[in-house]
Amino acid sequence: MAKTKSRQKKFDTRIDFTPMVDMNMLLITFFMLCTTMIKSQTLQIALPTNEKVEQEQQNKVKQSEAVTIIIDGKLDDKGLSKPDEGLLYYFDGMPPSGEELKNLATANPMKQIEFGNKTGGALPAVREILRERNKDVVKKIEELKKDWKAMKFSTNEEKNDSIYQVKAREIRNDSTLKRPVVIIKATPNASYAHVVSVLDEMQINNISRYQIDRINQVDSAMMILLQGQNVAK
Amino acid sequence: MGKVKIKKKETRIDMTAMSDVTVLLLTFFMLTSTFLQKEPVTVITPPSVSEEKVPDANLLSVLVSPDGKVFLEVLGSKDSTYKSETVRADLLKNMAAEYNKMHPSNPVKFTAKQVDAFSKQNAFGVPMSKMAQWLDLPTDERDKALETAGIPINMNEDPNKPNEFQMWIRAAYNSMNEELQQTMVKGKGIAIKADQTTPYSVVNVVMDNLQTMKMNKFSLMTALKTEEE
Repeated sequence: MAKTKSRQKKFDTRIDFTPMVDMNMLLITFFMLCTTMIKSQTLQIALPTNEKVEQEQQNKVKQSEAVTIIIDGKLDDKGLSKPDEGLLYYFDGMPPSGEELKNLATANPMKQIEFGNKTGGALPAVREILRERNKDVVKKIEELKKDWKAMKFSTNEEKNDSIYQVKAREIRNDSTLKRPVVIIKATPNASYAHVVSVLDEMQINNISRYQIDRINQVDSAMMILLQGQNVAK
Repeated sequence: MGKVKIKKKETRIDMTAMSDVTVLLLTFFMLTSTFLQKEPVTVITPPSVSEEKVPDANLLSVLVSPDGKVFLEVLGSKDSTYKSETVRADLLKNMAAEYNKMHPSNPVKFTAKQVDAFSKQNAFGVPMSKMAQWLDLPTDERDKALETAGIPINMNEDPNKPNEFQMWIRAAYNSMNEELQQTMVKGKGIAIKADQTTPYSVVNVVMDNLQTMKMNKFSLMTALKTEEE
């Protein structure tokens, strides 16, 4: 009789976790909104010094190897550059001087490419131009890449990578190969994005020698002449 | 007939598993997160194939807004040798000395409280003449005031008559943090962060100023772009 009367009440031992989950979800949302998961990347560049002595040395770039690329852009009403629009000018060799300057109207070495939208336009065109001029290096790097993919240097992935990096750098700086010297210039209206994407092309095409320089009078004269010729056409 | 009982179904769902998952996610986010730093201008960096990461210590970043306003951000070393706060306080002291050398007629001076306020400021960029006044503002007003300010900068190729931006660079270079000095020489300590729509003329001014200060090597901050071969 006692048994039936003092029946122990069975407590539910399970705790309701719903509020806990609610709170956690809130915290997760907070952290997700406040964090930066992707760290930005950097692109290292080195500018020539301002000193006069060095500039004279730079001018001794071999004529056949120099390529000058000039980036031009368009500004919108707010004074910002349009990242989708712009023009690229390029010419081989040294900038014209002396007699050549007089004949610029008839023999303009400069050529022009449109930037167009992000995917098409100037970038693939410029890549072709640069690859053509740097074909010795690109060919060697591609051979090296095959070996790297086949893990020929080492069976250890990390070691394989580092050997590949060292060998690739050797090829890029190999002075026995024909390598172009790219001089990058930009007009004040050019967008920063275009400058960075052209700098990118240097990496993509394994060009080890390039520099950023200021635009000069000869360059702008050539650009104006070229634009005039295009209008006349 | 009376024996058939309808089984009472438990309607409550067991939340324990769910809770486990959320706690796990929470731990992950807490450990991986670095908080977004407040910046006076929002910039979208241009895409690039470069895979090198931005260093998270010993860095002087130059924030360039599309209309040419310049701000600076300073990070100290990773361990506690040169904390960001200490480096910033030292930087302000150096900068005041540099500035007073150039402007002996109206020198600037900072109280301990102002230096403390400066050391807690992630980004800065007001003319030195207004610096003390700016540091006296409450934090939220300070951020607002910063948006319309910017470090005075112009085309200047004479290192003996530096503009304020160049003075800041020199002050950072001469700060007590040797690690920052080393990374600046290597070109990893200075990073330009500019929006992709910025006209080149604006970025060029900053680059030219750095060149004048003989900081020929520096990095540009970019966002990752995947390039198919």
